[in-house]
Amino acid sequence: MIRKPLYCLLAVLVLVALLIGTAGCSGETAGGMLNPVDRLRVATTTSLYDTGLWGYLEPKFEKQYDVELDILSGGSGLALEWGRRGDVDVLTVHSKTDELKFISDNYSSERVWFAYNYFLIVGPEDDPAGIKGMTPEDAFKTLYESSGGKFVSRGDNSGTHSKEKAIWKAAGYADYNALTDAGAAAGWYLEAGKGMGDTLVMASEMGAYTLTDIGTFLAYQSDLQLVPIVDSGSILLNIYTVLICTKGKNQEMANNLVTFLTSAETQELIGDYGMKDYGQSLFTPCAGQPEPTS
Amino acid sequence: MSLIQVVDLNQRHGSKTTLKWVSFSLEKGEVFGLIGPTGAGKTTLLRLLDQLENPTSGKIFFDGRVVTGSPRLQTQVRRKVSMVLQKPVVFNTSVIDNVAYPLKVRGHDRKTVAETVNEILKTVGLEEYAKRNARTLSGGETQKVALARALVTRPQVLLLDEPTANLDPLSLDMIEKLVVQFNREYGMAVVIATHEMAQGQRLADRIGVMMDGELVQTGKPSEIFSTPTDLRVARFVGVENILQGKVNSNRESLVHIDVQGRDVEAIANRFPGDEVHLCIRPEDITLSLRGASTSARNSFSGQVTGLALSGALARVQLDCGFTLVALITKQSAEELGLQIGKQAHVSFKATAVHVIGQ
Amino acid sequence: MTELWDAFVEALRLIVSLDDEVVSIAWRSLRVSAASTALAALFCIPLGGLISFRSFHGKRLLINIIQTFYSVPTVCVGLFVFLMLSRAGPLGGLGLLFTPTAMVLGQALLITPIMLGLTISALSGVDKTIRDTTLSLGASERQAIWAIIKEARFAVGAAIVLGFGRAISEVGVAWMVGGNIKGFTRLLTTAIALDAQKGELVLALALGVILIAIALIVSLGVNLVQQRH
Repeated sequence: MIRKPLYCLLAVLVLVALLIGTAGCSGETAGGMLNPVDRLRVATTTSLYDTGLWGYLEPKFEKQYDVELDILSGGSGLALEWGRRGDVDVLTVHSKTDELKFISDNYSSERVWFAYNYFLIVGPEDDPAGIKGMTPEDAFKTLYESSGGKFVSRGDNSGTHSKEKAIWKAAGYADYNALTDAGAAAGWYLEAGKGMGDTLVMASEMGAYTLTDIGTFLAYQSDLQLVPIVDSGSILLNIYTVLICTKGKNQEMANNLVTFLTSAETQELIGDYGMKDYGQSLFTPCAGQPEPTS
Repeated sequence: MSLIQVVDLNQRHGSKTTLKWVSFSLEKGEVFGLIGPTGAGKTTLLRLLDQLENPTSGKIFFDGRVVTGSPRLQTQVRRKVSMVLQKPVVFNTSVIDNVAYPLKVRGHDRKTVAETVNEILKTVGLEEYAKRNARTLSGGETQKVALARALVTRPQVLLLDEPTANLDPLSLDMIEKLVVQFNREYGMAVVIATHEMAQGQRLADRIGVMMDGELVQTGKPSEIFSTPTDLRVARFVGVENILQGKVNSNRESLVHIDVQGRDVEAIANRFPGDEVHLCIRPEDITLSLRGASTSARNSFSGQVTGLALSGALARVQLDCGFTLVALITKQSAEELGLQIGKQAHVSFKATAVHVIGQ
Repeated sequence: MTELWDAFVEALRLIVSLDDEVVSIAWRSLRVSAASTALAALFCIPLGGLISFRSFHGKRLLINIIQTFYSVPTVCVGLFVFLMLSRAGPLGGLGLLFTPTAMVLGQALLITPIMLGLTISALSGVDKTIRDTTLSLGASERQAIWAIIKEARFAVGAAIVLGFGRAISEVGVAWMVGGNIKGFTRLLTTAIALDAQKGELVLALALGVILIAIALIVSLGVNLVQQRH
């Protein structure tokens, strides 16, 4: 008799746990464990997610291929790690050096570029370091040598962060760690360790410069006290590529996604994206063309 | 075969020894009174009998089987033995659920449980409280719930630890009656620990006296009462007259003992030179105004030094070279016209003197 | 300060208008945390009963260790579960990473120490005589433990509510092993983190208000149920 309430309670709890667990799996989108559907996992750099591009393309792809698209947004560093571990099927990233390493390590067989835009060096309107109109390399050099302005770095191994490193290198500072240590000690170089949006807010609050992708900057512009300071120079080129992970488990659908992204219709959608909200397009489509160099 | 047999139990709690070489047996259907002062080890012994503790050494047999050290058998024994703890706790549920608990853990079906519980609640007079939360009851009612809960399984043995300490006389009477009733009707054996000799006398077939962790004397209540084997027992069971003396002579067990220069005769197996204690119960002493013409071998005259009435009895204290207390009826005290300072004669038989060695 | 007020207004608007997105996220949060709490309770209450009932060497030490894990960072638990469930990890074959089930497991693991520890201390608060009483009335060890749990049901209930509170308010585990996939593994907390990162501060705060409201309702509900008994 005493066993009864105990086991009743246990049974109810187990049932609740299982029901809720699996019901949670099925989610609102139907399917899941009870009714398995095709799922494709894409890890994307935050800039493609936070600008809303993926949210815009996702339903179109899902409809066309009858698949659930799971989009995981993280910095390029985390996205690549997911790809290496086989936890995602496809990556959309923008960090050429890391991508090449990823391929040479046999985690993917090719990088397919489908859009590009430019990074910007943004800063306060009064440009305390006086770097307006310089090349990106010279601008960074000036930031380092003069003590006119502060710089906020993502510091999170994202694509934007590795672009920043590449500019420092091109500007003649080969030892990035020594640079950041010295800069941090001198108080003009700050690592945010956060996403692009947070970093922009931080730079705005501190009256500092930072490197940003154009999409996120436009999305945030209205809340920021920042303007573009340096916006040209081939090193600022920001190419978005899609990579199929060899360890992923849904290769067929991954191929479909690449086909989708590079198709003429999607390319047009990408090219137009942003016109409505910002009055300018955020991305230039480039699938099927030679890799942009400037 | 005894229902429970206890052999050489020793129990230590940390550095404190609570039981020393305790052995005794409990027969089926017997009421065994365990008396002794607080801290004598009564509770520990009951806990051992109920398998709530394991002894440091020694064995407990139940129905001829060694139980000690076998968790499976211990649970089986607990299901045949019920114990009411000294300060019983009730579960934080209704009275009904409290009393039903032992039946539920034994896996009885709902119907049997309900019937049995109702019956026992009626017996102890708690029907009205059935739905009440047991934690809201008074001390006496709580004790009744605890007793009903212990009796509901018709145990073979009921262990009671000071069941009536701090109870009003009505509740006490009811609880004692209930215990006796279950003992008579179902042959339930009872071990009742109490520090009250009178309660032991009222209820018990046999009594064991515990002192400092030892079971010092076991016997019928009258035996314990009249012939304590130990000075501590004598004091505990209420022997008021305990005199010190030295044996002068022994002729065929009739001994002459020197008590502060007076000669007292007694029946005992003691030899000249033995230092002894003499126990004389106050009610065995006869009082008169003139030299008694009785067959009593001991007769002394003395002065009344104290007089106290309690109910229908009078307690008279006399100084006859040594102090004696006599218990007589109030009526005879009045007839004798006793008052403090008055001379009186005391007499008692040689057989009324119980001699204990030192 | 107007932002705080805006957040309240926005929260109210979202609740009143039953915004589809918000409702589904809130509902998912509630289900995942309820499931993880149930799972943890299922494990912690009997185990806590056993630990508190039995005496054994190292009991004190074990309890100290459990208490130390009260403050384990959620991201660490998230990382651990991620490494377990990742396809390259030992349990990768189950394919649970980035699913609600993974979040349930992760949260259950996260709240296990606090629920276990609080269950043990709840049970140790029960009069020791209850133990003797149940045993003396014929209960087996399991029955005695259950009776003690019932005696401490309010305190054990509080432990469960606290576990639920920690589960529904944590972000590290849900983020690491759920992946914050929209419509699938996005919970209130990960949505808040994402919105905050995107600069949607008022929306983020509004979701926070909704989360607190859910936690409040659950804890009030549990109290109500307990008081009725």
